[in-house]
Amino acid sequence: MKRRRFLKSMLALLGSTTLLSFLYPLLRFIAPPTGEARVERIVIPKDEVPTGGAKEVVYRETPVIIINRPGKGYIALSRVCTHLGCLVEYDGRKGRLICPCHAGVFSLDGVVLSGPPPKPLPRFSLRIEGENILIG
Amino acid sequence: MRYILLLAAIHILSSPALADFREVFEREFLLKPWAGAEVEESVCVECHTSEIMKPEYRHVAEEWKLSWHYQNRVSCHDCHGGDPEDAAMSMSPQRGFLGTPGYTAVPEFCGKCHVGILRNYLESGHGKALKAGKRGPNCVTCHGSHGISKASIEIINDRLCSRCHSYERAKSMKQALFLVEKKIENIEKDLEDLRASGVYTEDERKALFRTHAEFRALFHTIDVSLVKNRTDEFTKKLDVIQERIEETSSELAFRRNFSAFIMLLFAGMAVVVFLLSKTYMD
Amino acid sequence: MTLWQRIIRWLDERIGLTELVDTHLKGYRVPSEAGVFYTLGMVAVVAYAIQAVTGFVLLIYYIPHADYAFHGLQEIMRKAPFGWLFRMMHVVGSNMMVAVLFLHLFSVFFTGSYKKPRELTWLTGGLMLLFALLFCLSGYLLPWSQLSYWATTIVTAMPTAFPYLGEYVTRLLRGTEHVSGVTLNRFFALHVAILPPFLVSLMGLHVFLIRRTGISPSPFRRSEGQAGGYPLYPHFLLKGLFMVMVYLAVMFFIISFMPTLFLPAEANVPADPYKTPAHIKPGWYFLAPYQMLKLIPNKFLGIFIELLLLGVFLLWPFLDTKEERNIMRRPLLLGVFLLTLTLWILLTLWGKYS
Repeated sequence: MKRRRFLKSMLALLGSTTLLSFLYPLLRFIAPPTGEARVERIVIPKDEVPTGGAKEVVYRETPVIIINRPGKGYIALSRVCTHLGCLVEYDGRKGRLICPCHAGVFSLDGVVLSGPPPKPLPRFSLRIEGENILIG
Repeated sequence: MRYILLLAAIHILSSPALADFREVFEREFLLKPWAGAEVEESVCVECHTSEIMKPEYRHVAEEWKLSWHYQNRVSCHDCHGGDPEDAAMSMSPQRGFLGTPGYTAVPEFCGKCHVGILRNYLESGHGKALKAGKRGPNCVTCHGSHGISKASIEIINDRLCSRCHSYERAKSMKQALFLVEKKIENIEKDLEDLRASGVYTEDERKALFRTHAEFRALFHTIDVSLVKNRTDEFTKKLDVIQERIEETSSELAFRRNFSAFIMLLFAGMAVVVFLLSKTYMD
Repeated sequence: MTLWQRIIRWLDERIGLTELVDTHLKGYRVPSEAGVFYTLGMVAVVAYAIQAVTGFVLLIYYIPHADYAFHGLQEIMRKAPFGWLFRMMHVVGSNMMVAVLFLHLFSVFFTGSYKKPRELTWLTGGLMLLFALLFCLSGYLLPWSQLSYWATTIVTAMPTAFPYLGEYVTRLLRGTEHVSGVTLNRFFALHVAILPPFLVSLMGLHVFLIRRTGISPSPFRRSEGQAGGYPLYPHFLLKGLFMVMVYLAVMFFIISFMPTLFLPAEANVPADPYKTPAHIKPGWYFLAPYQMLKLIPNKFLGIFIELLLLGVFLLWPFLDTKEERNIMRRPLLLGVFLLTLTLWILLTLWGKYS
């Protein structure tokens, strides 16, 4: 009987350790993300991006380009080419974005026009507040 | 038994009438690559490997199949234009066929895709010499054409460079490149290890490719002092990637230890439960 | 009186706890020869519960949309703290659950436990196996990786071997002509909402039937052993608990030291409908029917035989009505059993390495 009691308390010990080793990960998992995911915001005065012009910024560690499309307004696109990850360049004259590595061509809406990229450029939501452009 | 025979008879009698469904099944199931079906090849390769081709053009396809381009699914028409599906029209200019570029037109031919490199090359001594007097090297001079392999620092060597000028200057360029190239190589290896242990490394891979491609494009200016000046900048970018890889590796080690710990807890409980059940058996 | 005892007494006065424990746990007798193989059903229940719990946890971050599913899962694996733990438990657990079900099936067959009066227990168990496989099929697509996409394409193409109706079934499963975002949503609904109530109901029925008919005594028992068997609690439950611990220890062994066992390289590449990888195979539990369909030249015959075998499997207790339960005294049945098992393993290996 003494042995049984010892084994039972062993089991309780191991069992509660196990329970805690699952409870801790679970609490960490469901906890709201902190730190890195905290809201980041970029503010740019409108006149830094004239019609047909563009400005490069970094948002959440991603290089982003803000373009003032003639007749269609502002757009913020990731500059990371969806093919192999080079940074696309803005060609205002032809009204398109081109990747210097393998000539992937994107429209100013981020849609693939030609070349190897498998997907369009990710778009970031953007807001105009008075004289400023806001991202995030 | 009777029923089974009857069912078998029904199906054998009806199967000739079911030809059309079988077509669907074959299309959907049997004739896919996983069932061992061959991937169809372009008419370019068909012709260029056949007897009727001039001998000097006959090895083109074979060389291409060993190339870095082939591995990355860059096919004949991606560079030469034309129509790979229509034998009669395959080499028609109407379908955009370009044929073989002239010696001085090669940079633009490759630069259709390698945009950034073309830009730097045209600014370089190599590019200017080519455009001025047709005596400079073009892309093919160093990289070869159809059998092109993945570019590496080894392309800068005595044999190739001293065809035109002394190796000394090229050597100092190679030295300037060496450390960054080595670092890139190591990171590539580490990323491969991570991938093999089941980590999705796309972001790091892209960051690495971007840095690498920028560095390689820079090299094509063949301006040693420019490369040297910007080495620090590239080293820093690579360090960021390396740091992330190291973080991920130690995270993997932590995961292994953590789940091994849980495994031991369960194994321990199994032993205790076993002993406990023994106490009830007596 | 301690607090614990007071709680017990409080419950006892209201729901008759002591009586419940006495009659259903301590008083319920299990055949004395019931060894570890008899606990596999219990392990299967726990295995399913683990899938359910880890599944709920994963739902917190998973996004059932073709554009986000893969990257959402990568967030779980790399960014969300300990997301890897729950995802790996779910992945490894799903495969181990199928393995446990197969073992349970074999031991029940081998001990002739499906015979009268337990035909219905067998039938509900067989149906549960099919539901578990449907869970595996639908869950396989959800990561939206190359492996998910193409393995699902292969498995959902299998019904097209059946004339007329087959094409419709494939179309019904996929929702579109090819596997697409629509398929993902269908499979997601199937996986988290439609299948679970069916499986839980079947499980309840299965357990109810076992309680009504009692655990079947082994046909191989030599002596009578302890008369009347031993109580469910603590003896048999401890055996079951032991096996559950072994199951979990094996699971965490795989998670620690063989994390890529069920997640090959293609599981780490986002789905690309335009790029068919060369060596994609369905999950190991689907390999035997897959290979069989590939081998039999007349496709209607192939799928016909498979459906016939499925029917035979589900209705086996009604076909094999001999009273003798000891398979060792029935060489023909033993032969058929071993032959089927060998064929299954051979087809699986053939499918894997062809």
